[in-house]
Amino acid sequence: MLILQLICIAGFVYGIRLMSSPKTAVAGNLLGAGAMLGAVLLTLLGEGILTLPLLWAGLILGSAIGVWLALKVLMIQMPQMVALLNGLGGGASALVALVVIGQGGEMNVFTWFTTGLAIIVGGITLSGSLVAAGKLHGKLSQRPFHIHHHNLSLWLTTGLMLVSLALLSVGIGSPVLHGLLMAVVSLGFGILFTIRVGGADMPITISLLNSLSGVAGAIAGMSLHHTLLVVVGAVVGASGLILTQIMCRAMNRSLWQILLGKTTAAVKTTAPMALISEEKQHQWEESLQAAETVAIIPGYGMALAQAQQLVKELSDKLQAQGKEVKFGIHPVAGRMPGHMNVLLAEADVWYEHLYDLEQINDFLQTADLAIIVGANDVVNLAAIELEGTPIYGMPIIRADQAKQVLVCNYDTKPGYAGVDNSLYGMGHVHLLVGDAKDSLEKILNALEGEPAAGGEAGLQPAELLEAAQRVVIVPGYGMALAQAQMQVKRLIDILQSAGKEVQIAIHPVAGRMPGHMNVLLAEVDVPYELMYEMDQINDQFEQVDVVVVVGANDVVNPAAITHPGTPIYGMPILHVERARHVLVFNLDRSPGYAGVPNTLYDAPNCTLIEGDAASTLNALLQSLRAAA
Amino acid sequence: MRELILVLAFAGAGLLGYKLISDVPSLLHTPLMSGMNALSGITVLGALVSTAAAVTTGSAILGFLAIVLATINVVAGFLVTHRMLKMFSRRREGS
Repeated sequence: MLILQLICIAGFVYGIRLMSSPKTAVAGNLLGAGAMLGAVLLTLLGEGILTLPLLWAGLILGSAIGVWLALKVLMIQMPQMVALLNGLGGGASALVALVVIGQGGEMNVFTWFTTGLAIIVGGITLSGSLVAAGKLHGKLSQRPFHIHHHNLSLWLTTGLMLVSLALLSVGIGSPVLHGLLMAVVSLGFGILFTIRVGGADMPITISLLNSLSGVAGAIAGMSLHHTLLVVVGAVVGASGLILTQIMCRAMNRSLWQILLGKTTAAVKTTAPMALISEEKQHQWEESLQAAETVAIIPGYGMALAQAQQLVKELSDKLQAQGKEVKFGIHPVAGRMPGHMNVLLAEADVWYEHLYDLEQINDFLQTADLAIIVGANDVVNLAAIELEGTPIYGMPIIRADQAKQVLVCNYDTKPGYAGVDNSLYGMGHVHLLVGDAKDSLEKILNALEGEPAAGGEAGLQPAELLEAAQRVVIVPGYGMALAQAQMQVKRLIDILQSAGKEVQIAIHPVAGRMPGHMNVLLAEVDVPYELMYEMDQINDQFEQVDVVVVVGANDVVNPAAITHPGTPIYGMPILHVERARHVLVFNLDRSPGYAGVPNTLYDAPNCTLIEGDAASTLNALLQSLRAAA
Repeated sequence: MRELILVLAFAGAGLLGYKLISDVPSLLHTPLMSGMNALSGITVLGALVSTAAAVTTGSAILGFLAIVLATINVVAGFLVTHRMLKMFSRRREGS
């Protein structure tokens, strides 16, 4: 019996050993599964319970559900799947301990103590994992959720569990009541503990819960005096602990910070103001150049500044660059109905480009850029948000919905209605204060600047890649969200067939759980030989011609080195900024989870291509193919 | 005495696990985690033993539930791990 148990343990151990290389990992996993099957049969035979129908019913039902779950899960959903399974394992351990308590019988302090502890750890694992899975699956908000006296509640529940555990161990009170109390309180603790962890810290949380599920099993094993359970549970516990450590290091977080609820997920932008305003200087020029769809919203201020002609020039220039331009005319823009249309028609703006409130609002939902020229109240969000203000309830042009907003107003004072414009304070809004004519001149100059730049800096992404010898691709979770893995794979193929050296650099916290990015890339047949860990590749970026960043943000943000005081300061990053050129395919310029603006975007060697990564990469692939 | 052995086994296995897992490259961390997850379903052994010994209906129901949960954990855990790992070795077979 003992020998057979040892053989099972050897099977598990050797299986894990084989997991250390992708070549042998499949065999390792099968070996582990075989050892598990062996252990189950061994237990059934050894205990003489092979023929109990209830046990087989449970095994068959569980297997059926397990197979169904495992076959339907998508690779991008793997984090929540693992979290869910963690929870089930922990829950099973807690239930086992409850059954042990229910049976009573001869038990000593050690048995009572371990049984109670198994209930506590298992219960925490169950509810904590379910909350984590809910957050990862989008069923629960990714934002940290706080209740009143959150820490106090955690301490109280902890105290309650410990007191109950102590009383149970020394035999005071009814064991069953203690067991049920601990079960309920530990479930509550698990929820309290996980609910306030932000989405960004999830990789750490599920690693920790992974560890706990193993520990719960091991403690249940102690309560049952089952060595195999203890050993395997301890191995799983250690594994989860290592992954937790690795994640903490990679995210520059301490486990305590997370346990105490100091989360990184910045609800507001916590970056220093200077950083933002300095960045915004360049930002509007780039978003102007990158925009494909532009809405121009003129107001009476344009007429006052006599800037119609320049507005017309602007729309011509944008259209000449292949951008789609629509004018949004608010019913009350100007001093009489249809006033603005007349003024624009006078400046030769073709009426088919003029759109009314409803039409332009549809367009703005997907527009890259809204340019506001001398309009104020008609784009003021207070009309929607601030009840009691004079303009509350007025229909407005939703300029705020465009990805970027450029405001050319004389000043930031309230408009006619006397209500401060809440648009001005928003993160994606850039203010060009002053005479509209001057501001429009600036915009026109910025537009001209792009094609005239010449030299290397003016090269298109495709040209940069064609000239490159060595290319490194840095994928991030944004790639997974945009489902752009296939495009990345095609890009790799095209570059490789052109004889270029291609590597993929994977930051330890890319994705939502350890190794997530590797799985997503493996799914689309990217060979693992191309994937490099941060430490392997970080000192080589100087020799790289072009780095292609796809949906990665915080992990390539040089602010982690240059800006003390920001949440990511000190976090190890991929030093893509040292490469000759960096092409960034991100949805927009907004900060990543850490809430720190990415200073990489302003580097002279960096080109930011905003938009859905799948479509921006498709465009890149097309131009590469066309050139080939 | 048995208790001491159990605690020592826990500590020893923890150290061994620490050593083993440290050798797994970050490339495979997700399948590693789901594989370890499947192993944590080893608690199914405990569920089987305690359910078989359950005397009351309440205990039997809890035990049955424990078996189901743990089996889902084991089966789904190994299966998703297999699905992932196969993707990592797919290319070698192909080319």
